Amino acid sequence: MNLQSKVAIPEEVMTRRVGDETVILDLATGTYFGLDRVGADMWQLMGEGRTLAEVCDAMQALYEATREQLERDVVELAEKLRAQGLIRAA
Amino acid sequence: MDEFALEPARAQAPMAGAPFHVWVFPDSTPWTEFHRSGRNYLLRFPELADFEVARDGRTVRAWPAPGVTEETVRHLYLNQVLPLAQSRQGKIVFHASAVEVGGAALAFAGESGRGKSTLAASFAVSGARFLTDDGLLLEPRGAEWLVRPSHPSIRLWEDSQEALIVAGTPTAPPVSYTSKARFLAGERVRFCSEPRRLHRMYFLGAGAAGAPRIAPLRPAEALIELVGHSFLLDIEEREQLAAHFDELSRLAAAPIYFRLDFPRRYAELAGVRAAIEAHARAEGVTA
Repeated sequence: MNLQSKVAIPEEVMTRRVGDETVILDLATGTYFGLDRVGADMWQLMGEGRTLAEVCDAMQALYEATREQLERDVVELAEKLRAQGLIRAA
Repeated sequence: MDEFALEPARAQAPMAGAPFHVWVFPDSTPWTEFHRSGRNYLLRFPELADFEVARDGRTVRAWPAPGVTEETVRHLYLNQVLPLAQSRQGKIVFHASAVEVGGAALAFAGESGRGKSTLAASFAVSGARFLTDDGLLLEPRGAEWLVRPSHPSIRLWEDSQEALIVAGTPTAPPVSYTSKARFLAGERVRFCSEPRRLHRMYFLGAGAAGAPRIAPLRPAEALIELVGHSFLLDIEEREQLAAHFDELSRLAAAPIYFRLDFPRRYAELAGVRAAIEAHARAEGVTA
């Protein structure tokens, strides 16, 4: 995964918000992932078909963080979710 | 309405295709194979019985394997097949036991071997009443959830029987696939036959704690636990999965979920019960 990557969310993966957190779940495999509010925003933006760089652009408008930090966090989250099968490269 | 029909014994013919899902024993031996049969489901318990569950989960037919007793098949139906069939009816069923304390229900969820039944039995022989020893069925009522009473019996391994059950307590006939005995509710093992409001749900730890330990779960943590402990027959049907996930998310939003761990020593069960009751009451159990 790099900043030019786009990701897709497999059809069988579902997301629900509970309290301040979001749970991503693939019920067929029993895989799940919990996200805080910042992670949930990244996830939603990734699911809109943007490149990871564009996800960072949008995140910069929402949060006070350095570009460098955002890029690192977005790519790291995308890698983790791909490793769990909860997203794939588009 | 759940309809159950026991058909004549028949040999288990090889299935046409691979199962879409399998439950296995810890040694990887298949325990339950989930097959599709036309629009219905066929659940095979190797060398024990085949169960055909209608697509809507309302009717179940069972064919014992030759030599397997009717009692064994009914036992499998009640403990394994009925909760799965109920999940097809859109009902919410968990691998959990429940007891009535202070007029409300406390549930104990955990995988096999975590002590759900032992804990429920411990309450039921000590002044409280049990609602179910597994297959916890919840129904929404306004903003609350009701625990439905299930079969009035508790299944226990021999060591728990010796520690908790007095001699002469009535039992159901033995079955061929487990050495667990099934104790029937009565004066010694008290049963609550009316629905009760779910007040707390405790997820049982592995027994690493040296003393009873109770810690709250965040809603997201509760949701993950609820998903992991729910019965689901068809894990491939997206529409029903989405509805199931919605229902569990609603359920998880209530602040009633805790991790519970305690040492697995029978001599300490009275202290464990006291800790649970104190915790539940401190959080405001009302009749």
